[in-house]
Amino acid sequence: MKIVKIYEDSCVYCHLCEVACIVEHSQSKDIIKAFKRETKPIARCSAEFNYPLSYSVMCRHCDDAPCIEACQTGAMHRDERGYVVVNEDKCVGCWMCIMACPYGVIKKDERREVWGLSTKCDLCPDRETPACVEACPNNALMFEEV
Amino acid sequence: MKIVIIGNSVACINAIEAIREKDKISQIIAVSDEQSRAYSHPLLPNLVIGDISRSDERFYYRSRNFYEKNKVKTVLGKKVVGISSQNRYIKLENDEKISYDRLIITAGGKPFIPKMDGVELEGVHTLTNIKSADKLKKDLINIKKCVVVGGGLIGSKIAEKLAKHGVKVTLVELMKRVLFPVLDDTGAEYIHKELKSLGVKLILGDSVVKLDGNKRVKKAVLSSGKSIDTDAVIVSVGVKPNLEFINESGIEINRGIIVNDYMQTNIDTIYAAGDVTEAYDIVTSQKRPIPILPLAARQGRIAGLNIEGENVKYGGGFPTNSITIGKISFISMGIVDTDKLEILKIKKDGEYRKFIIDDNKLVGMILVGNIEKAGMFNWMIQNRFDVSWLKDTFLNSDFGWQYFSKAFRILRFDRKIK
Repeated sequence: MKIVKIYEDSCVYCHLCEVACIVEHSQSKDIIKAFKRETKPIARCSAEFNYPLSYSVMCRHCDDAPCIEACQTGAMHRDERGYVVVNEDKCVGCWMCIMACPYGVIKKDERREVWGLSTKCDLCPDRETPACVEACPNNALMFEEV
Repeated sequence: MKIVIIGNSVACINAIEAIREKDKISQIIAVSDEQSRAYSHPLLPNLVIGDISRSDERFYYRSRNFYEKNKVKTVLGKKVVGISSQNRYIKLENDEKISYDRLIITAGGKPFIPKMDGVELEGVHTLTNIKSADKLKKDLINIKKCVVVGGGLIGSKIAEKLAKHGVKVTLVELMKRVLFPVLDDTGAEYIHKELKSLGVKLILGDSVVKLDGNKRVKKAVLSSGKSIDTDAVIVSVGVKPNLEFINESGIEINRGIIVNDYMQTNIDTIYAAGDVTEAYDIVTSQKRPIPILPLAARQGRIAGLNIEGENVKYGGGFPTNSITIGKISFISMGIVDTDKLEILKIKKDGEYRKFIIDDNKLVGMILVGNIEKAGMFNWMIQNRFDVSWLKDTFLNSDFGWQYFSKAFRILRFDRKIK
C-alpha cells in the first residue's frame, strides 16, 4: 500500500505541505479563499522542527489501526482504498482516537457547534498524488509503497 | 460452523467483523436482551438531555445494514438465562434453546447498586443502557433537582449535562475527588472547578445511605447525616460484569469471566470478550475487568480471529480514558496516582502533564488541557518501551517525534516497527 513516506534529511521546513493540505481540504480548493475568506481547514500534516532536524508527519495508515478500535461511533473507518479516514457526520469529538493514535497525528477541530471533529490525513481521495507530496519542493515527502 | 454471540455491542460487532474477514460461510447469531442495534454507550448522557436522538446515525456504532451485510441473524429483546456447555446450547427466558459450535460471551456490564434503603422508589435511575436512558429522559420533566451518586465517568458526565440543561445537580462521591481511579488530586481539581462553574454542588468523601419518599424519591440521606431534597437520584457508582446466566455452566469466573490470552474461557468452545471478562492488565500485572471501549473492541476482534483458528494473542491491556467536562479535556491511562514510583509532572497555564515511570518503563500518565499526541504514550505503555533516554522531554508541551533518535523515528515512520 502506498502512503506518504517521510525523508527528513530533505525537509527544509518550508511548511508548503501544510499550505497544500489546507487548500486541498478547503471548500473552494483556492489558496486565497481558503486562507482569507472561508473557514480555514486544519492541516492534516505537521511540519515539526528541532534544529537542525525538521520533517513533516501525518497518518501512517496502520494495518491494525488503534484509532478505529477506539472509536465509539464507527466514524473512524477504513475506506474502499484501504486508508483510514473519518466520517465527519459520525464523529462526536470524544478524542478517543487521539488517545489511541501511536503516531500522535490526529488533531482536534473544536469549531463545529455541537460535536468536535477529529481531523487527520485522508490521503487526498480526490487526487492521484496527495497534495502535500506534490507541493514539497525537495522530495521530503514521497507517495510510495511501504 | 455455528457461532452464537451473547450480547450485541462493541465486542460483539468486532468479533463479527473479524470472523467475516476470514469466513463468509459460518452461521452467526447475535442474541441480546436489548432491542436496538449496537449503539455508542458513552453517548447515553447526551441522549438523555437531547443532544442526540435515536433517529441520529451518530448514536449508532454501525450502520443499519451491518447485520444484513455480514449475514448475521439477530435475536433481539431476548434475555439469555443459561448456558449448557456440555450440550452446547444457550437457553433464553422463554425456554427457547439455541445450539452452537462456538460461543462468544460479550454480555457487557450492569450497574453496580450499593446497598441503600429506598432504591426501588420512583425517580431512582441508573444510566448504562438505552432502556435506562429512555426512562431517565422521560422522567426529566419531573426533575428540577437531582442527586448523582458516584463521580465516575458516567456520573460526572451526566452531572455536567443535567446542569447545562438547567437541573440543580448535587454530585455525591465517596472518595476525596471525582474520577478517582482515572485522575489524581491535581487533575481532578480542574474537573471540580468546571463542574462547580456549571452550578453542580460537589459533596466529596460522603455517600448516600438512604433514599426517602412515599412513592417517589424526595430526599437523599448521607452517611454524614446530611440530607438533600431531590426529585431524582442517578446511581452511577460503577459497573460490574453481567454474569447472571453463567451460574451452572462450568465457566470459570472471578469478578468477571476468566479468559486466557486467546480470549478463551476454561471451556474450549466458549470465548468471552469485553466488559464481561477479566483479562490481563499489563500495568498492574493481574487479571481484572477493565470496562473500556477500546479493549472491548480489541478483545472481540481477537476472540473472532481465534475462533477462525488464527492464533492471535491478546498481550494484555490497561485502562485508557478520554473525556471532556465543560471546557476541559483530559486523557489518562494506566496507573495515575501512586507515591511508590518515579513521577514527572508539571502544571502550567491550563495544562497539566504527569507521567508515572517504573524502572524506566512508562506505566501511566495524565494529560489535562493539552491532550495532543496522547496515543504516543499509549504505545510506550503497551510496548514496555524503555524511556530512560526520552523521559526528560515528556513534560514539554510540544512533545513529539523530534525528541526521538533519528534511527528509531525513521523506522517508526516507515512502519518497520509496529
